[in-house]
Amino acid sequence: MTFFLADSYIVRAKMATRRPARKASAKGVEEGVPLGTGQIAEPRLVQAAQSDPAKFDALYELHFERVYAFAASRVRDRATAEDVTSEVFHKALANLPTYEWRGVPFLAWLLRIAANAIVDHAKRAARELPAPDDPPEQANDPNVQASEMRAIEHRALLFRLVGQLPAIQKQVVLERFVEQRSIKEIAQRLGKTEGAVKQLQLRAVQNLRAQMEGSNG
Amino acid sequence: MANRSLALQLDEVVQAMLVSLQPRREKTPDRELASLARVAQELRDLPREEFRTALKSDLQRRASTSESTAAAKAGTGEEQVGTVHYMRPGLTSITPYIIVRGASQFIEFLKTAFEATERMRVPAPDGSIMHAEVAIGNGAIEVSDGSDAYPAAPQAIHLYVDDPDATYARTLQGGSTSFYAPTDDHPSGDRWGAVKDPFGNHWYIAKPRGWTPGPEGLRSVQPYLHLREAHKMIPFLVAAFGAEAMGVHASPQGVVHHATIRIGNATLEIDEAHREFQPMPCHLHVYVPDTDAVYEQALRAGATSIEPPRNAPYGDRAAGVKDAWGNSWFIATYLGNK
Repeated sequence: MTFFLADSYIVRAKMATRRPARKASAKGVEEGVPLGTGQIAEPRLVQAAQSDPAKFDALYELHFERVYAFAASRVRDRATAEDVTSEVFHKALANLPTYEWRGVPFLAWLLRIAANAIVDHAKRAARELPAPDDPPEQANDPNVQASEMRAIEHRALLFRLVGQLPAIQKQVVLERFVEQRSIKEIAQRLGKTEGAVKQLQLRAVQNLRAQMEGSNG
Repeated sequence: MANRSLALQLDEVVQAMLVSLQPRREKTPDRELASLARVAQELRDLPREEFRTALKSDLQRRASTSESTAAAKAGTGEEQVGTVHYMRPGLTSITPYIIVRGASQFIEFLKTAFEATERMRVPAPDGSIMHAEVAIGNGAIEVSDGSDAYPAAPQAIHLYVDDPDATYARTLQGGSTSFYAPTDDHPSGDRWGAVKDPFGNHWYIAKPRGWTPGPEGLRSVQPYLHLREAHKMIPFLVAAFGAEAMGVHASPQGVVHHATIRIGNATLEIDEAHREFQPMPCHLHVYVPDTDAVYEQALRAGATSIEPPRNAPYGDRAAGVKDAWGNSWFIATYLGNK
């Protein structure tokens, strides 16, 4: 019998709080906007996901836009941005038990995985099809500068806010910017005039700008 | 009317942006239009909703299958890094459990020298530390105060750090004595220094050359066992824990100069005891998928029982064995919330 197995020694130890409990709810995460509030709950979300991978969902919801915004800003095309984003979350899920708090935010870890994945993509692409033009320097930088971080936060918030737009404005934004359909095509699909679609596009962008300004303070 | 005109102007900007391969700065004297164009420019990178949803489903499937895979591979040592729900959160497959006299001061030393973070401390009634858990880098060390019943058992730990020279200097400021200062000439190829702390533990402070810390990086904390007849430890760990010898450097006579051994998602190192690096029988806390199976395997491999498996009240299936070298292995499977 040793200290370790003796109940008196370890029981209270393990029953005690393992880490300082952070009184924070995941409310901000569920509501989606603003992004910042989710940070408070993050340590608990990470811990929950470490003991139950099914709870990784919450971390995905919290950081999807940021990771995607980062990937999209560093690569050229949507397909690669999606590949990188997918790779980041799969790797994060697989390596979650190895992630430890070192004062390094979870997002910083995700972005490091992303930066590495982007470099790998660039290397593979270079082997398969030597590019005539080199990718921007920043694309191979494993570090994320503060200015880039701000841009990621800004863009991730914008992406979230699209989801809060009135349904018809949101649809116009998605069709126009994601599907890259012409105004004429969108007008036909929505049964509206082209002028009306352009108005909806304007109102959507104005709405987004107003909310971004409001959130930036 | 003016608004309608703005709608047209914005669409011209958007149209130009969408057909051009490179994002382009629109030159416009109209500040209103320019600020809208900036928002539109960022919307070009808007993710597809279908992608967001599909990836989420994919991850959910992966999360659920990883658990069943882990169970199927229990005890084989082949479990993936992602399938470690059998470990208590915050701990890896192997955690050194250091018993010292003056655990409180020891923890202060760890904080100062290695920028450790104290995660948990449970005091005993007499004010000593019953149990504590300290994070160093991406690893952890468990600590408790020694007593007559549980004498101090210092151990040797190989620590990977970002700056071995600065870390080495801090250990000396904390009262450690130097075996040697960090050098690039260590046989490992790492930049490597070695000290003995005031509590008797050895710290091998190193940084692999060309290494960037990252998610796939090395473990910060690796127990380092100096053993007599070290070569016999490898088959023992393979048989008992399903361990894997990842690199064995031995003399033609079979003397192990260095070996790295993996159990689950962590590694430990061994070598033949030499010079001042003599055996320091220690305590190690090992999380495995199936405590009962590993306990039986360990006994068959030649270990003696400290305690057979039982459901410990703190939520682990726990057992203990002692190996032929006098090291205690506390075998555990986390039974907590999945």
